[in-house]
Amino acid sequence: MRLLFFAQLKDATGHSELEWSNAGSMSAEALWERLIHEFPALAKHQPSVRLARNGAYAGPDVVFERGDEVALIPPVSGG
Amino acid sequence: MRIEVHFTRERIVRPAPEADAGGGEAGAWVEFAGIVRGVEEGRRIAALEYEAYETMALRVMREILATLAARHPCEAVRVIHRVGVIPVGETAIWIGAASSHRREALALVTEFMDRLKQDVPIWKRRALAAGELSTSSHEPESGNRDSACLS
Repeated sequence: MRLLFFAQLKDATGHSELEWSNAGSMSAEALWERLIHEFPALAKHQPSVRLARNGAYAGPDVVFERGDEVALIPPVSGG
Repeated sequence: MRIEVHFTRERIVRPAPEADAGGGEAGAWVEFAGIVRGVEEGRRIAALEYEAYETMALRVMREILATLAARHPCEAVRVIHRVGVIPVGETAIWIGAASSHRREALALVTEFMDRLKQDVPIWKRRALAAGELSTSSHEPESGNRDSACLS
């Protein structure tokens, strides 16, 4: 599973991307649990961050799979 | 509707209306340019650095435009968003829309900008002061952590 971090989340994690080679299928809740365990600074961002799976926003019931690209999308500010 | 969306790291060159509205179907051509302001969050700045999740942003922008076109039929729309370091006064986003009559293109451009600011994964990464601009890379992620991060 490939994880992508943008904007202030790069500062919170120290990474722009990360590979979880040992990740299996997991819910959004399980994904956040592991993320915050590895990067406690993400906890304060969680309420405002949306998850995307393979380039599309993920609904609350989505299951993330081993080969997925998972992006953490903080509030956007384009234009 | 013909949809063209892309990112650039260079200064945006405004396309001529004839590129999208020259086929004879359009009677209106609406342009919008979003310009980097000299003041951000009360602080005078020299530039903004933008970053994007480009593959997703392109997909989301196309989806938004296709959805809006059902309500506001246009002949063509073109969106160019710049990323990297953009000096004050230069264009961060440019949109051109061609339609039979003005209302459709005006509505499409206005609603697209509203949706862009809600859903398209593009960020103002940081603001640069005058002294930082000359030493900054024009690529995203030049890594000056002393600059203000924008949320």
